[in-house]
Amino acid sequence: MKKILLSMLLVLPALGFAQSFQVNLQGQKQTAMGGAGTGVAMDEAAVFFNPGAVSFLEKNGIQAGISPLYLKTAFRENGSNITEYNKDKIATPIMGYAVFGNPQGRIRFGLGIYTPFGGAMHWKEDWTGKYAITSLDLQAIYVQPTISIKITDQIGIGGGLVYSMGKVDLRRAVPLTLNDGRQGDVKLKGDSHDFGWNAGIYIKTISGVSIGITHRSQVTANVKDGDATFNVPDALRSSFPTKFSAELPLPATTSIGLGFYPSSKTTIAVDANWVHWNKYKELAFIYNNNDRIENTISPRNYHDAAALRVGIENQATSKLALRAGVGYAFTPVGKGYVTPEVPDANRILLSAGLGYKASERFQIDFSFLYENVKARNETNIETGLSGEFKTVAYIPGISLSYKW
Amino acid sequence: MKSNIIYQSIFAVALLSLASCKPELKTVTPTQGNADFSRYIAVGNSLTSGFADGGLYLDGQKNSFPDMIATQMKTVGGGEFYTPFFNDAQADGTGYKKLSSFTATGDPVITDVAAQAVRDVITVPGFGKVNLLTKYSGEINNYGVPGIKLGQITYKPYGNLNGYFERLLPGNSPTNNTAYIDFVTEKPFTFFSLWLGNNDILGYATTGGASPADQPTDKATFTALYNLAASRMTANGAKGVVATIPDVLSTPYFTTVTLAALLKGVQASAPTVTALYIKTGAGAVRPATAKDYFILPFSSAGLLGKPNESGIPYGLHPLNPIESQYVLDEAEAATVADYVAYYNQTIKSVAAAKQLAVVDAYAIFKEYAAGKMVNGAEVSAAYITGNIFSLDGIHLTPLGYAIVANEFIRSINKTYAAGIPIVDVTKYRGVKFP
Repeated sequence: MKKILLSMLLVLPALGFAQSFQVNLQGQKQTAMGGAGTGVAMDEAAVFFNPGAVSFLEKNGIQAGISPLYLKTAFRENGSNITEYNKDKIATPIMGYAVFGNPQGRIRFGLGIYTPFGGAMHWKEDWTGKYAITSLDLQAIYVQPTISIKITDQIGIGGGLVYSMGKVDLRRAVPLTLNDGRQGDVKLKGDSHDFGWNAGIYIKTISGVSIGITHRSQVTANVKDGDATFNVPDALRSSFPTKFSAELPLPATTSIGLGFYPSSKTTIAVDANWVHWNKYKELAFIYNNNDRIENTISPRNYHDAAALRVGIENQATSKLALRAGVGYAFTPVGKGYVTPEVPDANRILLSAGLGYKASERFQIDFSFLYENVKARNETNIETGLSGEFKTVAYIPGISLSYKW
Repeated sequence: MKSNIIYQSIFAVALLSLASCKPELKTVTPTQGNADFSRYIAVGNSLTSGFADGGLYLDGQKNSFPDMIATQMKTVGGGEFYTPFFNDAQADGTGYKKLSSFTATGDPVITDVAAQAVRDVITVPGFGKVNLLTKYSGEINNYGVPGIKLGQITYKPYGNLNGYFERLLPGNSPTNNTAYIDFVTEKPFTFFSLWLGNNDILGYATTGGASPADQPTDKATFTALYNLAASRMTANGAKGVVATIPDVLSTPYFTTVTLAALLKGVQASAPTVTALYIKTGAGAVRPATAKDYFILPFSSAGLLGKPNESGIPYGLHPLNPIESQYVLDEAEAATVADYVAYYNQTIKSVAAAKQLAVVDAYAIFKEYAAGKMVNGAEVSAAYITGNIFSLDGIHLTPLGYAIVANEFIRSINKTYAAGIPIVDVTKYRGVKFP
């Protein structure tokens, strides 16, 4: 573990993933409850989980959190006896929320900053899959100003405009041998600025069960004028591109959530997410110079995928809340499309956490999420890379909140 | 609610998982199956020796496919494997071809790296000049001798005519009297690879069918000798793997210089030219068609369009046709295909009779030559850019040899229920660029 702790010093401003490159670490309470939170008015993170529930929060508040993510993937080429691992990198998705307005009034305002998509996958520079990928840092931070309206005492609606700030840095080896016998490589780096939206409805039924339905829109991250840095033999350099453009759909997510309250101290949240991954047909890099190489059009052909989450919170004492949850996420990646930058498969989520109320206003929350991604043996239809992937992730998290 | 128990058990699971931080894959244990790899020997020609870029040199030798296989065999009880390396001071060996630059029009400029290991050049009466190489006297497992034909493995004076073979023998040319098949079977061995037969047709093809010394080995002779070779190799119970002859006509040596490309080049300065004239192996002069193959060296020979004494441009007129040595005409190409098919049929049936593993190099070369993605790297038979063929257009790059090594390993594993781990092909290079 020493090595892991040391590498925490090399914190990256980028992320791991929870379903393909979607990241589901938007609130510590919800993360500790298996990622469920659409159907409950839990805390300020409702700005993300359900803008319609924001107007039902009893207090205004502000919170900030972080979830350092440690993800380890093993790969073994079929026929080989060597298992290769990705490098130790800690990604640090951050989240921050504020809710203000008159808690007794019908209209509340919110602001959220969170990281719904990202990935930080680094392999050794000379690993078996180097021509597919050596590293990918991908990150989209959403900023979401939000308004939430309590239409009646039972129904709230809310919505927010999403401003997405994306960054991508993809590196791979190029199968051209330099004069010293090493292979060439390329770095593709760019950023994007795009818009989307998030809306939800929250209903408190007479039976006591609460219901939430939300839809977060797709954001299409457009990278224009990105830098393509090819390290290729000198004799060929002038015929290689220097710029690229790319388009990456950050898919829409539709969720339905339920909240059950078996006692005054216990909350059970159940969520189902439907992620509209089918829009991710291909990953295309369009270059400004095609003398030597064609544009890279890599088929992805994702399909829509669901995730199911159940979480429980128990207010054990007046100061201490205990939380736990489980979840199961189906992979959007079809047979033959598994790639080493996102070696996705169906996954089991186990989580736990606690919240401690230090004072009436001040609270600290911890979460721990363990993700176990099923082993998957595949031959990629584009690269021919054939082997078995297995991934686990360990994600502790902490947030501080202040309410008034 | 006894929620505490639930929380505690979830924490316990999480902690247990943390204790083994790394994800584990099912253990793979390499196994030798029912073969014994304690002394593996490689019998064959240039493809076995690691010949590349028109020469035999240290870097190529180190990347020979038998060397790669032997390294992998060490995980399943394989012994030491010795290749007759050139020493470091003579690493350039027989010299080789190098890509120096590109012309303004994008054509490769290929230059020669000088030989370092030629100790003498002698003339053998009735044969001709032989380059004698620095002798190698150590242990040998890789017996690859560039140029050797199956038709020559029982010919005792052969060690005087082939400098690569002479180098491995204790005596000096022309005093040698050890046939190749006797030499390689002198010491006991437990496993072998046998890849012979390529040169029995290759020489005919690369000389455009025009060299009297390089006519295809007679079919019946081939069959007899292949049976003899297989019997000798298995005489003491050794197991082994054999390979078929690659599709000669899909190598860059025959696919790079095409009629269309030549015509296009000529038409740039002489737009009225619509045909090139060739002299066929049968002696006829006729316009070339897309079914005739021009050999790679023709592009750098600088002959096309050059006027003769009578002022007739080379190749553009029936009175000054492209010589037969530069063209494998349609009929000759059919001869090549016919012999290769026959030889390969022989190889497969002998292997089946002797229960040996077979690598169908013919099918594999054809598959890769057509273009294939290997771990994300595109390879093909394209000259230089295809990554698998070296600059001579026939022999392979280290990446090409690594692909071959894996095909041998897969075939051995299948036949002998073994589990030799494959080579990581991405660790090997293609053609070096300037």
